[in-house]
Amino acid sequence: MSTNTYELSAAEKKFVGWHVFFAVAALSVGALFGPLQALEHSGLDLYPYLKPVFKSYYQGLTLHGVLNALVWTTFFITGFLTLAVSKGLERPMKYPKLNAVGFWTMVVGLVTAAIPLLLDEASVLYTFYPPMKANWAFYLGLTLVVVGSWIEGYGMYYTFAAWRKENPGVRSPLAALGSVITMVMWQIATLGVAVEILTMLLPWSLGLIEGTDPQLARTYFWFTGHPLVYFWLLPAYLSWYSFLPKQVGGKLFSDSLARFAFWLFLLLSVPLGFHHQYVDPGVPAGWKFLHAILTYSVFLPSMMTAFTVVATLEKAGRARGGKGLFGWLRTLPWNNPSVTAQLLGGILFFFGGIGGLANASYNVNLVLHNTAWVPGHFHLTVASAVTMSFMGITYWLVPYVTGKKLISDKAAHWANWLWFTGMVIFSNAMHVVGLLGAPRRTPLGLAPYIPEEWSGHLLRVGIGGTIMFFGIYTYIILLARTAWSKKAEAADVEIPLAQAEQDPQNTPEWLDKWVPWLVGTVVLLIVAYGPQLIDQISNISLNAPGGRVW
Amino acid sequence: MSENNQEFKPKGTMAILLIFVLTLILLWGSVFLILLSRGMTVGV
Amino acid sequence: MTSKSSMHIDPYERNWIIISIVLLVSFAVAISVAGFAFGIQVPSPEQRVDPRTVADSGPWADPGLRELSPGKYEAYILAQTWSFLPREMTVPIGAEVTFYITSKDVQHGFKLQETNLNVQVVPGQVSKLTVTFDRPGDYDYICTEYCGSGHAAMFGTLHVEP
Ligand code: HEM
Ligand SMILES: [Cu+2]
Repeated sequence: MSTNTYELSAAEKKFVGWHVFFAVAALSVGALFGPLQALEHSGLDLYPYLKPVFKSYYQGLTLHGVLNALVWTTFFITGFLTLAVSKGLERPMKYPKLNAVGFWTMVVGLVTAAIPLLLDEASVLYTFYPPMKANWAFYLGLTLVVVGSWIEGYGMYYTFAAWRKENPGVRSPLAALGSVITMVMWQIATLGVAVEILTMLLPWSLGLIEGTDPQLARTYFWFTGHPLVYFWLLPAYLSWYSFLPKQVGGKLFSDSLARFAFWLFLLLSVPLGFHHQYVDPGVPAGWKFLHAILTYSVFLPSMMTAFTVVATLEKAGRARGGKGLFGWLRTLPWNNPSVTAQLLGGILFFFGGIGGLANASYNVNLVLHNTAWVPGHFHLTVASAVTMSFMGITYWLVPYVTGKKLISDKAAHWANWLWFTGMVIFSNAMHVVGLLGAPRRTPLGLAPYIPEEWSGHLLRVGIGGTIMFFGIYTYIILLARTAWSKKAEAADVEIPLAQAEQDPQNTPEWLDKWVPWLVGTVVLLIVAYGPQLIDQISNISLNAPGGRVW
Repeated sequence: MSENNQEFKPKGTMAILLIFVLTLILLWGSVFLILLSRGMTVGV
Repeated sequence: MTSKSSMHIDPYERNWIIISIVLLVSFAVAISVAGFAFGIQVPSPEQRVDPRTVADSGPWADPGLRELSPGKYEAYILAQTWSFLPREMTVPIGAEVTFYITSKDVQHGFKLQETNLNVQVVPGQVSKLTVTFDRPGDYDYICTEYCGSGHAAMFGTLHVEP
């Protein structure tokens, strides 16, 4: 195992930096609405004051969902994976222009979608269920973002293939392999929403066809919608596998199992979208049950990840002098904000996983579906495990690409701990009030059916949400001031790429072969989705014209 | 190259994960009990 | 295990994977028993309707309760922006009610509080589930899917009389 001393070129650093810039810019707008929603739930309705600019709770919620869950994530991920592929393979992108075309397509898409969003012409939430009809530019913009991310993916595939040719017989470096698997999974997954928009929503919003088939649209949407969450999660896992071990002064505990986990995610991320449709009228219960079982199976690679990551930490903590069953936890480098962010995100993710297993449990979903439990759950996943990991990554990545030291580690610690503390309060309250029956996507202050017993929990939603807001804004301001500061100390940052205990060359060969895994993925997809897709498409009736209802 | 973790036994990891599993059973179980307490919803 | 290219699964990790599998299988058994033995089920396709005309003729033109036989009811419910029709219903305790819910415009949700009836309401489709009421009281049914400006106020009440 030779050490990897590869450095990105100045142009590549800039390219990755632009991704982070757009990601954080989106977050800075999207996150503004979080506390407004949370405070509204506790009885403090600030929306009347925003009326000149933002027309409603729902317009804000649409911006919150689109900018946080779709834009912050996708822009950050494509940038981070570009870096991981280059660094992992120790070579530049094969066709940097191709990646650039992909990126700027995403930017054009973002602007195209932002216009109707800001004009209140697309307040349909980030799931845009028809027949609620947004302005066509919204659908077109989203399509461009997805297509742009595909093109960036192609750039990575070409680079990977070129490396493969130059290095026959060498095991793929984990950081690059995991990145490329993530992009391939994303490519397959997004076919659902691409078909939904191109065959139904775009022609309909342009007036070329009169109506939609809302049930089929949901099936298309969730074909993409579930693997979307793995698209968010896998880059965080990649950081835990390939970077965090180095940051804590250790080595990855099991390289083989890390690879195996990524392949399982390729295989199992997509064919289980019906678990978002358990209570849909148009999908047979038997198919829902099959997807429930498949969803249970995708829980396994996450359980494996939990073990590998925690064991890596334990070994590192012991090497740093930690004793006893739990003493090693204390000796981890908590003074490094990048490590702390990821550890705190990981702790919250344990609870996100528990909630997710409940969501996935077929009839148990009847208790939770579309209640406040659900946003309670995914603020622990996408807004904690994923977002905190991305925060942690930017604490080294931004200094790396800008050459400037983070202006304050202390501010980064404040951001981490405020977010963590606020999230514990917020998500617990959301889960509880959801179990009591509170709906999601609803300004509860305007709802006439709220029983008295919810109010204490709703108050905690507002308190937690406000603390989170201070956390995320501390983070955003810290990054902005670092990036724009003139006098920040020049940073001599290395990419913290970790090694594994095991020489990668000794990982099994079947964990470095694409064809069997890709064939397996397609076969499983056909089995899990084929019959229902054929049935729903052959019975399509585009008889729901819908319209604008806000 | 050290090819194994023989000298290192991840006991702390196992302890943490067992606590996690117990919490999971408890929390998942309590939601499951809510489901049972809210009665039937016969389909088809 | 051969020296080269092997998985090298740590014995602790192997135990952890086994524990995880046992856990998931137990949960799968639990939800299957709840679903297929206790009858806590999710909806399946019932019938297709035309949302443009569903409120003009047929059962949803006159939404409400129909008593099929003593204690057995059907409830036809029409969701629309931004109300449920009917807004109120009354059944005696012990009633077994089969709900047939559809929408004539956009998607809605239908969640009957304190029960497991919680379904997506999709134009063109009919969400059907059956619930038996053993406890008297007022059960609100609320809209749980964003359906436009008036969504937060969209609800109705089912009275179960002792
Ligand atoms: C500033 C801190 C934040 C607060 C206080 C907050 C609060 C909330 C609340 C109260 C809701 C529920 C609204 C409703 O159902 O009516 C919500 C929804 C949501 N949040 Fe956040 N949030 C924050 C940050 C984030 C972040 C960082 C992400 C993602 C990375 C995120 C993703 C989402 C998504 C996807 C929804 C669902 C939108 C929908 O239902 O259409 N949030 N948020
Ligand atoms: Cu509604």
